[in-house]
Amino acid sequence: MDSLFSQLAVLGSSLTLIFALMLLWHRSVRAYTTAFAWQSVVLAGIVAVVAYFDRDLQLYLVASMLLLLKGWFIPRVLRRMEEPFGEQELKPYVNTASSLLIAALLVLFAHAVCRPLVAVSHLPTRAGMPLALGLIFVSLFVIASRKKALTQVIGFLMLENGIALLAVLGTYGIPLVVEIGVFLDLLFGFMVMQLFVYRIRATFESIDVDQLGRLKH
Amino acid sequence: MIFILLLCPPILAAAIAALARPYRFWVGWLTAALSFAPLGAALWLCARVLDGEVSTLGPGEFLRADGLSALVAVCVGFVAALAAWLGPGLTVTDGYAAAERRSYRVFSNLFAFTMLLAVTAHNVGVMWVAIEATTITSALLIPLHTTKASVEASWKYILIGSVGIALAFVGTVLAYFDFVNLAGEQASALNWTSLLLSAPVLHDAVLKLAFVFILIGYGTKAGLAPMHTWLPDAHSESPSALSAMMSGVLLAVAIYAIVRWKIVVDASVGRAFTDGLLIVLGLLSLAIAAFTLIGQRNYKRLLAYSSIEHTGLTCLGLALGPLGVFAAMLHMINHTVTKSMMFLLAGRVQQRYRSTLIVEVPGLARTMPVTAGFFAAGIFAIAGLPPFGLFISEFALVRAGFAAGRVWLMALVLALLAVAFTALVTHLNRILYGPPPEPTPLGERDCWPLIPTGACILIIVILGLSLPPPVSRLLNKIVEIASP
Repeated sequence: MDSLFSQLAVLGSSLTLIFALMLLWHRSVRAYTTAFAWQSVVLAGIVAVVAYFDRDLQLYLVASMLLLLKGWFIPRVLRRMEEPFGEQELKPYVNTASSLLIAALLVLFAHAVCRPLVAVSHLPTRAGMPLALGLIFVSLFVIASRKKALTQVIGFLMLENGIALLAVLGTYGIPLVVEIGVFLDLLFGFMVMQLFVYRIRATFESIDVDQLGRLKH
Repeated sequence: MIFILLLCPPILAAAIAALARPYRFWVGWLTAALSFAPLGAALWLCARVLDGEVSTLGPGEFLRADGLSALVAVCVGFVAALAAWLGPGLTVTDGYAAAERRSYRVFSNLFAFTMLLAVTAHNVGVMWVAIEATTITSALLIPLHTTKASVEASWKYILIGSVGIALAFVGTVLAYFDFVNLAGEQASALNWTSLLLSAPVLHDAVLKLAFVFILIGYGTKAGLAPMHTWLPDAHSESPSALSAMMSGVLLAVAIYAIVRWKIVVDASVGRAFTDGLLIVLGLLSLAIAAFTLIGQRNYKRLLAYSSIEHTGLTCLGLALGPLGVFAAMLHMINHTVTKSMMFLLAGRVQQRYRSTLIVEVPGLARTMPVTAGFFAAGIFAIAGLPPFGLFISEFALVRAGFAAGRVWLMALVLALLAVAFTALVTHLNRILYGPPPEPTPLGERDCWPLIPTGACILIIVILGLSLPPPVSRLLNKIVEIASP
């Protein structure tokens, strides 16, 4: 039983990480949105699996909120923002081959950092934690190395997914009051970012953050 | 009761401002009047702390205010009141449209609410949620006047701020992970007091990792180098009243979060680890800020970099033992009062000259003599001259450093302070003297905002000449909490 649970957790975490890696070789923002939507669905699935094995009703609630907000609502808004423009990511600061290499190093680094965590944990899900931390690091790299504001938003959303994954694998979910607060923050934060993407488009006539070099020192 | 008075008025004010359509000036005056309630409540919290009581409210002590919370709450309440009375939305001459005045009134109040919640929440998860919400509420106000520069600044702010704060959440989750591993799932697990109680049995390696994430995360909000890049942009492009709130207290709230976690981690792994990290980041911030001040061309960015400098000093103080914690907290109070006043004065200068470049605002002593006097006093204060409060707290901080045996570190700090001092005074000289540009009208107008700013000067002079007993007793209470 435990071994099935543990295998499911590792499988799910690997899938979420692969969806994040997709950002590194695709160029179209639509593909990024799809990757994010599927990643969120897998994340919701992992939460539901943990809820099933831990017999925790609250976690089913969290899983359905995840599915609704990140699997359906946010991707829908993202598609609507992207559709009229058919956004393509520009030539990134780092090319695809080096990006993938850096991502691999980041995942290795995550494994090294996670060793004390895996050593102290006794949960069957602990093997997925390094992957969750890897997802966090890869998302940070995406935010730092891509140029379109929309891509940075998606990178940020994936970073949030990584944290949610880490929380559910390591602790079987944080207290519900905090969880709800995090969802509200995410929702409002996303709405504000979306508003700003429109503003950047209106004032700069593009959402290429390369243009944002006005303020120096 | 006390917490209701603290947290409800800002929500009420925001609701009134959002619902009253079209915007009328009474809305602004009403919200300004309401801003006194949180300040009063925060002072009341301080009084209770001095009586030896820790106020709590709600199931599982959802809200809790000890000395540390009470002090930062007073700072927030004070600056929020200042920003409400001197911000846009009260008079016709403020230079904003009705919709802009309304959004200022709505979001500045929500911003104040989130900061007050952050410092009174007992659960460190809720504290995180509140600090994340400060980013959202304040980011909307930066581009109140939509320009390319303000849009850019707000984008940088929300992206870097959100990512930074997300890392702080990773740290929070890691600490909770360790707690749950040892004690099992509990609703109170993220309560600060429970964390502190169980800190001695938590795993050193996990807590160290958690603290690194937390320091990077909240350090981003506090403007610690090298995560400070959003700060000068956001502070210089936002409306002055918002800059005052961000620089005066948002940084203090982020420092507050770091201190809360430092206490927990110290109880488990000892002081040396957190002290070392804080010294590195504090010194780096101080150095980068001091040298950037020299070549600064924009006076609002000058003030912003000076905020980074003082945040760095506060962090250094926190790492210097009990005396250092005392000095750091005193420094935080002084910086809050001084810097919020300076941004409001900078707003007056900007309104008159229509420029934020130092070379375009010469002759301030002739165009606005009283403002110029206050501005000069403020620059001397942030440069660390007596008789202002920042001199005393910097002095106390350096003395704490020598007492802790960190002679070389303090020599470096003094050298960097001298660099910052020279830079600030040189720039001040350019602003005060010289011929004012042609069409600039002479003489003060709208004189009443000078009364609250004058009061700020009075406060920092009082804090520079003496240490009132209630303040020192409150600071001692904080030292008891922060370095047992």
